[in-house]
Amino acid sequence: MKQIKVLGTGCPKCKTTYNNVLEALKQLGMEANVTKIEDIEEMMKYNVLTTPVLMIDDVMKVKGRIAQIDEIKEFLK
Amino acid sequence: MENQTLVQEICPTTTQQWIKNGALLVDVREKDEVAQLSYDVPNIINIPLSVFEEHFTEIPKDKEVVMVCRSGARSLRAAGFLVNHGYDKVVNMKHGLIRWAQKGFPTKGDTSVVLGNAQDSGCCGSTANSAKQSCCDSSPKSEESKCC
Repeated sequence: MKQIKVLGTGCPKCKTTYNNVLEALKQLGMEANVTKIEDIEEMMKYNVLTTPVLMIDDVMKVKGRIAQIDEIKEFLK
Repeated sequence: MENQTLVQEICPTTTQQWIKNGALLVDVREKDEVAQLSYDVPNIINIPLSVFEEHFTEIPKDKEVVMVCRSGARSLRAAGFLVNHGYDKVVNMKHGLIRWAQKGFPTKGDTSVVLGNAQDSGCCGSTANSAKQSCCDSSPKSEESKCC
């Protein structure tokens, strides 16, 4: 199962990214382990400067902007 | 800013002492923000967070560095980034330019962009807004920050 992490400070962009991940999974009929990371110390371990960040299987896919549903679907295919 | 242990944090008042001791301030706000209002201190450079990864090596490793921004949230992330890259003389200034201006420390530009109507609120002392404004203990869950 894919491990998806959304790193963010709880701002609207971060929430949108998280919701987009859920929607992408729904549209693909996929299941994944989705984790929202808001803890600043945890985020700093990933050297995150700009949020939100989308990570799939520990690879940073998108940073500093909202990940769109279609591109998340592409990442997951 | 939230509780974390990776980066040491200091308040604006303590930052004054660091400045006297020759520390370099690194402001990670974007250029347009700096143009509106900036820290008026002798040793300061601006490396916006949006280009920080490309330019962080301009920061000397052998010098004491205080990371600053508007509220202390972005600079904390940048400070963590530097610590992860081997910088061991880096601290973050909590509460950023907002508290700095509230304390009446030197700035250049229009302080209303960070002060709004609130002119008072103490660092390390009495507070006008609320207890969560106190800077030398636990910090508020952010905030005033431009988080992204």
